[in-house]
Amino acid sequence: MIALTMIARVVDGLPLAASIEEDEQSGRDLQQYQSQAKQLCRKLNTQSPDRCTLEAGDMDFHYLIAQGICYLCLCEASFPKKIAFAYLEDLHNEFYDQYGKKVNTAMRPYSFIEFDTYIQKTKKTYVDSRARRNLGSINTELHDVQRIMVANIEEVLQRGEALSVLDTKASNLSTLSKKYRSDAKYLNTRSAYAKVAAVAVFFITLIIYLRFWWL
Amino acid sequence: MSAPGPANPGSSISYNQNSTPNGGAAPAYQNGPAQTNPSVYPPTGYYGAPPLQQSYPTIPAHSNPVPSKAPLTNSGHSVNYYQNNHQQQQQHHHLPQHHVAASSYSASPSQPPPPSITQYNQQPFQQQQQQQQQQQHPPYTTPGSYYGQQQSYQAPPPQQQHPSLVPAPASGTGAPIYPIVSYPSPQGSSQYGTLSSMQSTTSTPGVMPVQMGAPLHQYNTSQPASTPPVQPGYGVVLPSQTAPTVNGQGSTAQTTVQQHYDQSHQALQSYDSYGRVIHSSGGADTERTPSRTPSTSVHSSPGHHKGMQYGYVANSGASSAATSGPAASAAVAPSSSSSDEDDDDDDEEDEEAGGDTSSSTTGSASPVPNNYDSLEGGNYPDSMPPANDMTNQAQPYGNYGYPSMQPAYLQGAAPHTDSSPAHDLYGQSYQQSSQPFPNMSQLSAALGGLSGVPELEVEALRPVNLLQERNLLPPRPLEAPEPNLSADLKKVNCSPHTFRCTLTSIPQTQALLNKARLPLGLLLHPFRDLEQLPVITSNTIVRCRSCRTYINPFVTFLDQRRWKCNLCYRVNDVPDEFMYNPVTRSYGEPHKRPEVQNATVEFIASSDYMLRPPQPAAYLFVLDVSHNAVEAGYLKYFCESLLKNLDKLPGDTRTRVGFLTFDSTIHFYNLQEGLSQPQMLVVSDIDDVFIPSHDSLMVNLKESKELVKDLLTSLPAMFSQTRETHSALGPALQAAFKLMSSTGGRVSVFQTQLPTLGAGLLQSREDPNQRSSSKGVQHLGPATDFYKKLALDCSGQQIGVDLFLLSSQYTDLASLACISKYSAGSIFYYPSFHYIHNPAQLEKFQNDLERYLTRKIGFEAVMRIRCTKGLSIHTFHGNFFVRSTDLLSLANVNPDSAFAVQMSIEDSLADSSLACFQAALLYTSSKGKRRIRVHTLCLPVVNQLSDVYAGADVQAVTCLLANMAIDRSISSSLSDARDALVNAVVDLATSYKSSVSNLQQSGLVVPSSMRLFPLYILALLKQKALRTGTSTRLDERVFAMCEFKTQPLQQLMRMVHPDLYRLDNMSDQGALHLNDTVVPQPHLLHLASERLSRDGAFLMDCGNVFYLWIGKNCNDMFIRDVLGCNNYASIPPNMSHIPELETPLSERVRAFLDWLQDNRAFSSTIHIVKDNTSAKTNFFQQLVEDRSESASSYQEFLQHVQRQISKDLTREQTD
Repeated sequence: MIALTMIARVVDGLPLAASIEEDEQSGRDLQQYQSQAKQLCRKLNTQSPDRCTLEAGDMDFHYLIAQGICYLCLCEASFPKKIAFAYLEDLHNEFYDQYGKKVNTAMRPYSFIEFDTYIQKTKKTYVDSRARRNLGSINTELHDVQRIMVANIEEVLQRGEALSVLDTKASNLSTLSKKYRSDAKYLNTRSAYAKVAAVAVFFITLIIYLRFWWL
Repeated sequence: MSAPGPANPGSSISYNQNSTPNGGAAPAYQNGPAQTNPSVYPPTGYYGAPPLQQSYPTIPAHSNPVPSKAPLTNSGHSVNYYQNNHQQQQQHHHLPQHHVAASSYSASPSQPPPPSITQYNQQPFQQQQQQQQQQQHPPYTTPGSYYGQQQSYQAPPPQQQHPSLVPAPASGTGAPIYPIVSYPSPQGSSQYGTLSSMQSTTSTPGVMPVQMGAPLHQYNTSQPASTPPVQPGYGVVLPSQTAPTVNGQGSTAQTTVQQHYDQSHQALQSYDSYGRVIHSSGGADTERTPSRTPSTSVHSSPGHHKGMQYGYVANSGASSAATSGPAASAAVAPSSSSSDEDDDDDDEEDEEAGGDTSSSTTGSASPVPNNYDSLEGGNYPDSMPPANDMTNQAQPYGNYGYPSMQPAYLQGAAPHTDSSPAHDLYGQSYQQSSQPFPNMSQLSAALGGLSGVPELEVEALRPVNLLQERNLLPPRPLEAPEPNLSADLKKVNCSPHTFRCTLTSIPQTQALLNKARLPLGLLLHPFRDLEQLPVITSNTIVRCRSCRTYINPFVTFLDQRRWKCNLCYRVNDVPDEFMYNPVTRSYGEPHKRPEVQNATVEFIASSDYMLRPPQPAAYLFVLDVSHNAVEAGYLKYFCESLLKNLDKLPGDTRTRVGFLTFDSTIHFYNLQEGLSQPQMLVVSDIDDVFIPSHDSLMVNLKESKELVKDLLTSLPAMFSQTRETHSALGPALQAAFKLMSSTGGRVSVFQTQLPTLGAGLLQSREDPNQRSSSKGVQHLGPATDFYKKLALDCSGQQIGVDLFLLSSQYTDLASLACISKYSAGSIFYYPSFHYIHNPAQLEKFQNDLERYLTRKIGFEAVMRIRCTKGLSIHTFHGNFFVRSTDLLSLANVNPDSAFAVQMSIEDSLADSSLACFQAALLYTSSKGKRRIRVHTLCLPVVNQLSDVYAGADVQAVTCLLANMAIDRSISSSLSDARDALVNAVVDLATSYKSSVSNLQQSGLVVPSSMRLFPLYILALLKQKALRTGTSTRLDERVFAMCEFKTQPLQQLMRMVHPDLYRLDNMSDQGALHLNDTVVPQPHLLHLASERLSRDGAFLMDCGNVFYLWIGKNCNDMFIRDVLGCNNYASIPPNMSHIPELETPLSERVRAFLDWLQDNRAFSSTIHIVKDNTSAKTNFFQQLVEDRSESASSYQEFLQHVQRQISKDLTREQTD
């Protein structure tokens, strides 16, 4: 079951098209997944792997990047990966045909929302188990599916965050060390003063002693 | 306070004038009523009516109040309002006594109050006697006493006995005034007989008490209610009254009174309490402090689900949240986690609020401080900023807004600038710096008190004695008053058609507003069809970081890189992208950007403003196909119309449609692409509705167009033989909800009878015998909350439900309307619709449907209204669901619905000279674009009462009062609402007289800007929604109420007070020349039958219908040239179109009609009204200045108001 499909421009993560999903039966809260998908599209860049599966709880995100466009879908974990990628391929072929040239000039989000109609139709054929069997035989050439990288959505989304955490930690560290340094300096001076004072006291006592007892 | 002496000559003069225009014709007709009345209508029912009983006792009671009367009128609901209101009034009415005492009562200073009371009492007593006489009259002489009685207002007793049946022109003086009598149908049809006889009976003083009886009680009761601490205040003042006051003395006394007045009013509620008492006086304090979170979360607590009060009622925490979107949303967020259902709501709200945060889904993510306290000092009015800061903030405003300001207005800004040496600091910073501001302001500060009002306002402030001036209407329909702003600001300000404020000069403090006795509020028409609209696409939408205001023409640029928000005064950075101007392709001119040049702009929203991908346009039609519906025959016309407009439905290739029909079962239609013909699926289990098939019921219009067409052509015939009389509307709506909930969209429901099966079934609640009761109207509220709950569910899923009610029977619109009210739908009602018997309704239905199907639509919309800090919005009117304190959730938004809000002033606005309001509407267009339409209105702030009056917008005030009255009649009672409206006039006149006009003028004096106010209020009282005594069906009344709530101002005003023109003698003088057609501009006429003449043709423009009344002696040339008939007799009785003739006269008439229709959403039908057609009653009902069967004429109304005023005065004098 494909719950969510989204097409976005990789450069800036601008969503180009998406499919509204029927969450009537599943009753799942897709809200969270939707925002995750949005964030994911923003995180992706040209260096990201072309195909990737991201685990998010009992759902999987599959995405495919081609020609600077990212095709992303959310499926149940049990949904065959092969079919999912075949579906994304299919979307890519059609989408690139129709809108490929206009993608780079798109300004507003969901500029090609009308592609939704095609997405829904395609989705139906891929989800339908009878039709799927036919498709499965066609797409056997997608053999490298097994080599597709698998990662966890949380990791991907938090990769940036981890860095920023590291950054704050490092800056904390440096401020702390600065503080330590000033503290140490202060202690040093204090101990030096103490030593001088002790010596002074000793000599004064000595002088007084000499003054009163020796004379 | 004017003694009857001066007033009466005025009115008698006018009555005499009346007789002149058609004096010759009138007498002939007077025989009509005399013969028909008695036989048709036995007078007993009317004479025995309770109003008389109420009224007469109360008049004497006025001089010695009877406390035991109190419980009678002071019902639970009214307590708040009337106590407050009348305490105010009492205090108020002190004021007039100081300066007025000398004038109106000067004749007898030694014994001031008694004479006036006796004078006033005499008159009613005379009438009473007379009325008793009348009771004893044999039926045939009833008209005699009727005419005599009229003259009792103006003439000495001998004339009263004037036998009116004598057909001499002299005796017919009264006749032209009362049209219904003078133009009866000779046949004496029963309908007509009813009218005239009722009129003759009710024209006795017994009518007046219907209106004035109740206030009298309330004045009495409010006396004991006045609190002890206040009365000492009176005590101090009173001595100075009784002594003959000199002007000087009077003025000092006045100031002391005003102090009392002000002090006590801060605790009291002012006009806010009119509609409902919502915000406790303590609320103002709590929302400032950091502890405001609780106060808002109260609002979003479980009540959110039930939401019984939400639709109209404001929000308990209303306060200043309007300017503090994110803060409010942050406060809401915690409580929202308690329920899944609310999650969506609050998220969306944050989307709107937290625009530039990265896809925030929780309220706390917005980066904005939760509280105003954390803003920079000096911008915050009640934290007493240092003088320097105050100048910084006041000065640029004064500078920007008022380069060449009139002295009186400067007072607000001037003291600040003078007090600080640093005022030049910003003077140089921005473009308009070179004004010699300080000098000007010093000058004005010196002159401020003396120089009086600016020239512009002289006209608006001219006191108008309504009893003497009869020609109040302007020659052309009234335009919105222009706010007193500098030319620059005026040029960019929001169009009054979109955004209108009741007071175009905002009073500085609540005390001043209270003193003005006018409601403060906005009327909005946010999604209006616009001819040109700048659409802006940019990556960042520039908004204030603290209050989320969109950048607008009224912000101040401190320098190139910073701008100051005009609502919360926060200084924000100008983002880099904003430095580039795409229009001029230049860099470094942020103030030339279109956002800053236009008060109405539309932004293409970024994906931050989307919670989900934009939904497709989805339309579901839910059609009643029971026997009743088939009888009425609407289905055929609906299908025809939809077929015709199928391609014009707004949408793109994703547009989805679905159909659902119901009688006692629910029928779905499978329109899946690839089927050879539509499949009908019947679900008979209406107790537990399920959707038989998930993806084939709502189908893509483009792909299944043939099937849809098939269905539409076969649908009318499919049910033609049905015998099923039941209607399961509730289950059908539940099915519609389930069908649409995944996408959202629009559900159009066509219903023809009372729902009788399943959930949401209704019983008939109307008692036809009570239709004309003047006692009060029951059942204005819903009978069940089923429809409301369903509507709230729909609203949550972005489904808007529009209701078309076509019925001949009572259908309990009060309950059914809830489905549309809370889901932001629209309601259409066609009483006694029948495709053969009622062609007029059929035509209207077809016209409306065409507009409805093709008009623009916005989906999944939210609207937020923000206003300058210090102002707060507390009540909303219209169809919507209030999701949080200031966020209106609109599942659908259509270009024909309007909204109104009421505001109060929480903090003094002294530190700025301008107040701004911004309405932002975020919606998804039918093409799947998410857009934000932003309107900004800027108005001056004034500190003089006279300026407030000068800027009052009488139409807006009337419309807002109408909305408030509707709320009140539902929450309390109709009579309360009517009293409140009358009191609004009384209050205005009293307060104007006491505080502004220093003329020692007697009579009913109001400022010129408000001169039409009493007329409009009278017209309101005669509307279907608010009238009493006239037979009005409950459904029609409720529908009229719904219209009041949602119609835009211009439309509403035309409905309340239609425009009347004379067409047969139109000249080209002042004609408009539009693309080589000449549009003549005839003068506007008063809505009184004295203005009609038998030899003319008159056009009445009632907004959604035109009446063309043809006088009996209308010249044949007009009839021939315009109507294409030979003479008067050959005009067909039900003519409803103007033929396209080639004559110049016809062309001009049609050009004029087209011009009137031009900017109207729904095309109006035209009815040619002859004297003997039934449409005549509709036409004459609209003549609001005439006396009608149950309501007084304009002159009577004015006299009533005046009596009311002087009563207040005299009572206070005796106190």
